[in-house]
Amino acid sequence: MKERDLRRRLGGLEPPRADGARERAWQVVSAAFGEREPIRPTRARLRPLVSVATALALLAAALSPAGRAVLDTVRDTVAPERIVRARPALFSLPADGRLLVDSQRGAWVVQRNGSKRLLGAYRESSWSPTGRFVVVAGRSELVALEPGGRVRWSLARPGVSRPRWGGTRTDTRIAYGSGTTLRVVAGDGRGDRLLARRVAPVAPAWRPGTGHVLAFVDPAGRIQVVAVDRSDRRLWSSRPTPAVQALEWSREGALLLVRARRSLSVYNFAGRRLFELLGDGSAPIAAAALGPSGRSVAFVQTARGRSSLWVVPRLRPDASAARRVFTGAGRFTDVAWSPDGRWLLLAWADADQWLFLRSTGVQKLVAVSDLRRQFRTSSFPRIGGWCCAS
Amino acid sequence: MAGSGRDERAWVRGAQAGSASDLEALFRAHWPSAHRAAYLVVHDAAAAEDIAQEAFLAAVRALDRFDRRRPFGPWLHRIVVNRAIDWTRARTLRAEVGLTEAVAGAQPESPADARDLVVALAELSPEHRAVIVLRYVLEYTPGEIAELLELPRGTVNSRLRRGLDRLGEVVP
Repeated sequence: MKERDLRRRLGGLEPPRADGARERAWQVVSAAFGEREPIRPTRARLRPLVSVATALALLAAALSPAGRAVLDTVRDTVAPERIVRARPALFSLPADGRLLVDSQRGAWVVQRNGSKRLLGAYRESSWSPTGRFVVVAGRSELVALEPGGRVRWSLARPGVSRPRWGGTRTDTRIAYGSGTTLRVVAGDGRGDRLLARRVAPVAPAWRPGTGHVLAFVDPAGRIQVVAVDRSDRRLWSSRPTPAVQALEWSREGALLLVRARRSLSVYNFAGRRLFELLGDGSAPIAAAALGPSGRSVAFVQTARGRSSLWVVPRLRPDASAARRVFTGAGRFTDVAWSPDGRWLLLAWADADQWLFLRSTGVQKLVAVSDLRRQFRTSSFPRIGGWCCAS
Repeated sequence: MAGSGRDERAWVRGAQAGSASDLEALFRAHWPSAHRAAYLVVHDAAAAEDIAQEAFLAAVRALDRFDRRRPFGPWLHRIVVNRAIDWTRARTLRAEVGLTEAVAGAQPESPADARDLVVALAELSPEHRAVIVLRYVLEYTPGEIAELLELPRGTVNSRLRRGLDRLGEVVP
């Protein structure tokens, strides 16, 4: 149907008995109006009140359980540069699990109680499937570590990048980039081999569980899903997708989230695209993460100097019910779910802050500032993952 | 039709100061669009009347806090459409009556093609109906709809496209 036709036809539709409805409504509205007492503050009195209210609102946002709701109220009038009165340091995480953080200084593990350990001068850190180990890219080497920093093994390879660890508690594999190639090695450092000669610069993603199924992006932008075994059987590949930036499997392995620069899609295990959450015309998507339940998605968009965090609480074919959770000035760079799915960690680079926001139910926000100083870096630290209740 | 921006600001200012005639001007300018939008989302005449009326009552209650520099229409329409979506979802959950049935009963005297269109609209989800109504009845741009419903722009575009496709399949 053409838009013009639809406009014309809809324009001709009137609710039944519209006149009667209008007059009944006016009686009710005018009666309600008659009962109110108008308040007329002067402009001179109003301004300081607004300033104080705004300051109190932002303070409350940082400190009170109703933080998110307060911010929702003020965000349209006050484009926050940062949350004032945020905590000056990361005293603790609001949920179980440990964080991996990458800074210029190296890879860090942050414990639930806020204590931080620098693992060493590594980058691009990633958790093993159960959080017992960490894999990192070093200078011309792939390194497997314990979260305490002890090196389990290392493998010298040129141009190591984007290592990802997958599998089960007893049988794991690591996929990693080496130059333009994609390689695979067992979790004990043995059996290193080439999987693909050329791949796009996107981190591969292991499907959780058995079978060693790996998704990666080829140079043409196709998502390739391969059972990594002796024959490296290809299970499916997608059509080319422009500018894919990240892949993530849901925890139970049923869904694959594909984030491109301006699109966000969800595939099932068989390679069928189930949901196109964002498509043509979307603002750039800076980050996205599937919730631990596999039914919800959080994502970040940036446009006209402001960023927004959105949550789709339940995946549906039309991506309906996406809710904007938080908006602020500047760039949000990462978003991560807590292992229990009750919190979202939002990295707000331009404010040098992390925000911990309740994902559902009780509304609460905890802000932490001064991240660059805490992780001894001049560029804003990146989140490598929030894993596994300890 | 809604008044000009200047009229509207004057009515809001007058209503804030307690003028019933200014409130009435505001009401009569915005009631038709609010009522029609509610009706096209919920497809229930009684519910649409209640929703539009409640939206105006909410507006009266919030009148003192309203920023006169902002247009009144989008503020009212946001309330109307969100309440209409909530009402439709609640009814779907309660499964009181098939939606198509309700629509057919509400439009006995409409021309056949108008009835077909209403029935086709009723087969869309409330979220799709809402963006169709905001775009093609209330004439908001996709960007404005995204702001009103707090949705990503891409989601609005996708709903518009799917809604149009679906309507095109049912109503040639």
